[in-house]
Amino acid sequence: MKWIATCKETSLLASRAMDGRLPFADRLAMRMHLAICKNCARFNQQLQEMRRLFRVETGAVEAVAPGLTPEARQRIETEMQKKLGS
Amino acid sequence: MDTLDTHAWLADHGDYLFRMARRQLHSDELAEDAVQETLLAAISAQARYAGHASPRTWLTGILKHKIIDLIRRNVREVELPRDADGEEAVDSLFKQDGHWVDPPRPWGNPHAEAELSQLRRVLDDCADRLKPVMAQVFSLREVAGMETEEICKELGITPTNCWVLLHRARLFMRQCLELNGFSKAGAA
Repeated sequence: MKWIATCKETSLLASRAMDGRLPFADRLAMRMHLAICKNCARFNQQLQEMRRLFRVETGAVEAVAPGLTPEARQRIETEMQKKLGS
Repeated sequence: MDTLDTHAWLADHGDYLFRMARRQLHSDELAEDAVQETLLAAISAQARYAGHASPRTWLTGILKHKIIDLIRRNVREVELPRDADGEEAVDSLFKQDGHWVDPPRPWGNPHAEAELSQLRRVLDDCADRLKPVMAQVFSLREVAGMETEEICKELGITPTNCWVLLHRARLFMRQCLELNGFSKAGAA
């Protein structure tokens, strides 16, 4: 990795940084790029934003999604009864 | 056993478990399977439930394993992260010199109830549009919050493949969200 990464390389580093600590040289290359590139800085922010939106714990709109259909519920109930009865 | 009312599980937690599974498996059918397998496993394991956690937390723990099982069963026939398709798709987002073709645009900040439910729909649609293995790795990481090492180990893929998959998934998710109303400009 060069001292300053390209946008493409930085997008990979920024993604990896969401999953664990980067090696020093990579971290430095990413930081230097982010300091001078508005586009990648925004990309990096949006990665954090996506995480916030997706995490179940913070998903404020969870109850909006449809639940089990009556048919599926009935099927599962039947299977549970079978299991309990056995 | 007082603390374990098996009949209440489905009524009280069925929808919750289903939504969680649905968001990670991207299929109604698989999500229903996951809920059923979870509840059946819970019946078998109820002796081991010591009442340390709430029933929902306990069931959610079982569900996570069931989801991974289902993904593992499906992951075999899925494309490898190395495949030219995905690589070309990533290449098309960047110019030859490594700059963005379409730089990320600023996103709005939805607050109203209606905007949030619209946002949820876009999130789910975009996740559903990812290639299966990508969607699943993305969901295990970003929805379930599993550690990357854990995901690699569970799915039997190398960390490098995992990073490549997650990078692609995030690029495509981001682009999809932006094209579907997340950007202020795009909403106009």
